[in-house]
Amino acid sequence: MAPLIEVKNLKKFFKVPAGTLYAVDNVSFTINKGETVGVVGESGCGKSTLGRTIIRLLDATDGQILLEGDDITHVTGKKLKAVREKMQIIFQDPYSSLNPRQRIITTVKEPLARSGRFPRSVINEETERLMDMVGIDARLRQSYPHELDGGRRQRVGIARALALNPQFVVCDEPVSSLDVSIQAQVLNLLMDLQEQMGVAYMFVTHDLSVVRHISDSICVMYLGQIVEKSPAKELFSMPLHPYTKALLSAIPSTNIDEVMQQVELKGELTSPINPKPGCRFAPRCPYAREECEQPQELQEIAPDHFAACWRVKEIG
Amino acid sequence: MDNTFLSVKDLEVIYTSGKKIVRAVNGVSFSLQRGETLALVGETGAGKTSIAKAIMRILPNPPGKIVGGVVELEGENLLEKSEAEMLEIRGERIAMIFQDPMTALNPLMTVGDQIVEGLRLHNDLTFAEAKKRAEEMLEQVGIPAVRFVEYPFEFSGGMRQRVVIAMALACNPDLLLADEPTTALDVTIQAQVLNLIKSLRQKYGTSMILISHDLGVVAQTCDSVAIVYAGQIMEYGTKRHVFKNPCHPYTRGLFNSLPSMNSDSDRLKPIEGTLPDPTNLPDGCPFHPRCPRATQECKIGVIEPVKVEPGHICRCIHAGAEKSVEDSKRIHSGEV
Repeated sequence: MAPLIEVKNLKKFFKVPAGTLYAVDNVSFTINKGETVGVVGESGCGKSTLGRTIIRLLDATDGQILLEGDDITHVTGKKLKAVREKMQIIFQDPYSSLNPRQRIITTVKEPLARSGRFPRSVINEETERLMDMVGIDARLRQSYPHELDGGRRQRVGIARALALNPQFVVCDEPVSSLDVSIQAQVLNLLMDLQEQMGVAYMFVTHDLSVVRHISDSICVMYLGQIVEKSPAKELFSMPLHPYTKALLSAIPSTNIDEVMQQVELKGELTSPINPKPGCRFAPRCPYAREECEQPQELQEIAPDHFAACWRVKEIG
Repeated sequence: MDNTFLSVKDLEVIYTSGKKIVRAVNGVSFSLQRGETLALVGETGAGKTSIAKAIMRILPNPPGKIVGGVVELEGENLLEKSEAEMLEIRGERIAMIFQDPMTALNPLMTVGDQIVEGLRLHNDLTFAEAKKRAEEMLEQVGIPAVRFVEYPFEFSGGMRQRVVIAMALACNPDLLLADEPTTALDVTIQAQVLNLIKSLRQKYGTSMILISHDLGVVAQTCDSVAIVYAGQIMEYGTKRHVFKNPCHPYTRGLFNSLPSMNSDSDRLKPIEGTLPDPTNLPDGCPFHPRCPRATQECKIGVIEPVKVEPGHICRCIHAGAEKSVEDSKRIHSGEV
């Protein structure tokens, strides 16, 4: 059976005054039904652009996006509308992603009405069911977004995304702007809904503990490229790529007896505009050699565990 | 007297918004030794930043107002100082690192001039002398001195935060207030900035109040910890006390909410409910509507802090006397 989403050599470049910005460069991966794939990386690594390109909010520069085996990279018109009912997005910022002049119930109702598939009575019933599902009290349903706290607003965003029973949802940092106690509530909700509806998530975040918790497998991105791809738990027990190692070692541990063994990275993200060929992490990499100027391909080091670094076996 | 360096007693801050009064800080007390780092931990709206701004006396007034309490820096009450005296203290003895390096810098001034400005305000220096010192500070935080003449927009987020740190430490302050200094940064840059603050503090013996919601950052940087909720310190103790023996149900809830890096549990245990409305705080313990152990006594009066062990204080009537969860369940279901 074809996977739910298959991304093949996807590229998304932006023309900027200084040249070409390689936001997503040759990314390939698959997402199966009901599965969660986490995408982690630092700001500017292209993880949000990747999510938005896959669900066709942005047009790919090159490569292919397959939904259940059908190429949707360039579909338009009615076909695109049908595709969009199957693929949705939950945005990072529940403050700016809801219409401030619309009652939240209208926001949740809108996708149902727009689909043109349901009579009005069903729409109203379904809206109430969605609100129940994400845990918004009946007394709050006529509120405007500014009357709700961040956690509830994000629940509205989730209800809207799941309204048409999509098969695939891009979660673009859905809990990053929430406090930890609220963050846990929303993560639990997302996981419960996945169990009930069998929806697949692409979970984009910079928070490694969150991504470990929610994902089945994880892609680590650096400057537009996937540098490591692994089953979720294994990424943390056996990180392979030097960047992943540095990233994991930089998370401050809440265990006060644990002395942090930091791989401190020199410098900052280099520019994604007109990058040099070869490994993009090399300028900051403690293991860099001359050979790193050659382009790096993902290679399978362990079952389902890929890394794009030619020295990976050596540095173990 | 002991060598208490900063002592805050019963600090109260309110904000007025129309006819509503927001009680942002409600009787906060703590003290800080020279060279010590205290973390103020809490969620959005808990009042952490208001505490720091009250110490600095930079609360926007109106709407903010300090309505009670004492802030003593080496025995002198800062709340009784005139604005002119505060100008001397700010920057020279107390400096602040703001959360957002994008808005903390003046976009129309070169970063060098911004550091020089503070230096010359507090020290009798010529421009050339101040420039030399500013360049040294930039080098210290890992920015080449040649970038003295560049503007904030020419720097990345991490670099800007380093500039802010250089500026804060330029006058060699005794106390550094760091308000979420790394929240806007990526983890690898966060690690660099935290190491930088640590080494500079060790060099100059600076005390620090670190405001953060990130328990990992707190665990790796601080000596003592105060957990803040709805403008009150719920739990206060050394890092070891609070991390190894958290007593307040809110503190425990915070730890339980974090996805673990080691365990394989499928569900998180969030704190139910949401933060209370600060214009209408519940009577009794402000945490009781969300607390799994709340009883009738929690809903009335003022909950006083209890000493759990020497140096470890917890504002909960159930701290110490361990009650079974069954008890509180019965109470919630109205059987008692």
